[in-house]
Amino acid sequence: MHDLCALIPLGDPSVADPFAAVAAAAAIAARSGGRVRAILLGRVPDADAIAAAERDGATDILSAAHAGLSEPPQAEHLLAAFEHLLAAETADTLFLLPAGAVGEELAARLAIRLRGVPLGRCTSLDRDGGQVTARRASHGGRAEARLTTQAPRCFASLRRPAAAPAAPGAARREIMLDCPLPNDVPPPEIRHTAGEQARRLEGARIVVTGGRGMAGAEGFALLRDLAALLDAATGASLPAVDAGWASVGQQVGQSGAFVTPDLYLAFALSGTAQHLAGIGLNARIVAVNSDPEAEIFRVADLGLVAPWQEVVPELIERLRAR
Amino acid sequence: MQVVVLLAGVVDPKWRLGTLGLRPGTAQVEDTALPRKLSPFDEAALETALQLRDADAAVTVTAILTGGAESDGLLRAVAAFRPHRAFRFGDAAMSLWDPATAARLLGAAVRAATEAPALVLMGREFGDSDDGVLAPALAEAEGWAFCGLAHRVALRDGDILLHRTRGARDEILHRRPPAVVSITNERGNRLRHPLMKNVMLARRAPVEVVAPPTAPPPALALRAIAAVPPAQRGGAGRVLTGPVAAQVEELAAYLRASTTGAA
Ligand SMILES: Cc1cc2nc3c(=O)[nH]c(=O)nc-3n(C[C@H](O)[C@H](O)[C@H](O)COP(=O)(O)OP(=O)(O)OC[C@H]3O[C@@H](n4cnc5c(N)ncnc54)[C@H](O)[C@@H]3O)c2cc1C
Repeated sequence: MHDLCALIPLGDPSVADPFAAVAAAAAIAARSGGRVRAILLGRVPDADAIAAAERDGATDILSAAHAGLSEPPQAEHLLAAFEHLLAAETADTLFLLPAGAVGEELAARLAIRLRGVPLGRCTSLDRDGGQVTARRASHGGRAEARLTTQAPRCFASLRRPAAAPAAPGAARREIMLDCPLPNDVPPPEIRHTAGEQARRLEGARIVVTGGRGMAGAEGFALLRDLAALLDAATGASLPAVDAGWASVGQQVGQSGAFVTPDLYLAFALSGTAQHLAGIGLNARIVAVNSDPEAEIFRVADLGLVAPWQEVVPELIERLRAR
Repeated sequence: MQVVVLLAGVVDPKWRLGTLGLRPGTAQVEDTALPRKLSPFDEAALETALQLRDADAAVTVTAILTGGAESDGLLRAVAAFRPHRAFRFGDAAMSLWDPATAARLLGAAVRAATEAPALVLMGREFGDSDDGVLAPALAEAEGWAFCGLAHRVALRDGDILLHRTRGARDEILHRRPPAVVSITNERGNRLRHPLMKNVMLARRAPVEVVAPPTAPPPALALRAIAAVPPAQRGGAGRVLTGPVAAQVEELAAYLRASTTGAA
């Protein structure tokens, strides 16, 4: 049976939940046994990260630091360092990386470099004998595929599982790396976006989202006012980003941010599978839509059948008056 | 400078998937009877390529659509945008589920366009089966540079300049050709409309087809696929009725209760 090993890149705040991969590995081990290794990779040794990995169920933690890594680290450097760390591995292993842009890119690239199989963003993984079975969404979340492989090395990304098994405590080891990092890829110029994006969608307890029916930037300005009153983050559906009413980082869905708020306020969006794929199952959805037949009402906790123009300004007024 | 844009198409998301499944005795998805269209990311990648061509007479754009004959209509729609060349790569038996195999096939598709690609563009997700693995897999398999999820691309002095957003930061990256870049949708890369004249021309033009090389047995096998209903959520499904003002008051009360509860 494949061993389990979570690969955790540290030092990039855009990785919303790096230790999700450890928790996911622990959940697989709780079903089918085995230890849960975690390899943490950062610029400096990080005691908090080691503690977090242990809390999420790692049993063997290797904390690797490479002074040549930048913050945030470049993908090419992380790849070179992980490749170096895994070079001597011989056991069949299922490697798990945190879901999201960084982890998913690393998983795909490492898999090809190390002649393993990239499994993509899986919803579940099972090991049985020498086989790994992966389940994965396809067709915009409207279908599910089951795939199997006998490959010795598999790489997948996973979200944090709903229930976490108890953490048994971990053996820890720290190493300093000095393997060469590629110097032919220039580091990115980084600009921190001001304003609303600073309020991260990931981790927000309330998200206010607008869709195509908002019909313009003015409507989105009102949604931002509402979000400010609720201390919420603002999101958007794909057509709203396409229209330029919201920025790329605000897209929620299968192809965008995955949000796990307590409350998700959805204005003038229809509730397609591709959009809902970006909303955690525990979020209570409040929907405002002028079409009583809109799909979003099927998944909403509370729905208002009304044009947003009659709801949003009035709602802002009332919340201000409290 | 050779720019290649790889397009996959998706089953029209407005169409019911119905009895999606595998063709009996194969690992191929039977969805050829369902209408296909370009995904938002195919469109963004295509528009990016067209903008590069418009900005620089030295840029040659080849558009490649993967798939069997069911995609010919879509290829004609792509040809209507007048890339320098557009062809379909593949047949009904070609499968992109195993990323290593898919990367090899896509590499062959690029080489059928040019021996010296400078920039390969593809959507952040490639077709209905990919969740973002294929673009980085292609880059690694070919040893080309990679940038994922860019929303703006420019060419400057032989360099590729890329804009992308990662969490709360905007990044500008430089990549030396050859590079694979996956594109995410943004206002600046919404696909233009083709000229009606070109749509008519493309409709009459023959479709160029390039056959894929024989692929080795995949290391990752598709065993089953089925449409799934939307995930169950705990919502009460309470839809308010009555005057809008009263509904808004109820919503305000609901939000107050939720936000104080959270505090
Ligand atoms: C491969 C792929 C990936 C995709 N990924 C994503 C993704 O990550 N995220 C995403 O969001 N989409 C994604 N999509 C797009 C998705 O298929 C839908 O097109 C999109 O989710 C629809 O967005 P919408 O609900 O804003 O627009 P629509 O479906 O057009 O809905 C607009 C809604 O607004 C309502 N409305 C209109 N006017 C008003 C008004 N005045 N007041 C109140 N309500 C009003 C209408 O009744 C309607 O329900 C993807 C598609 C593909 C093919």
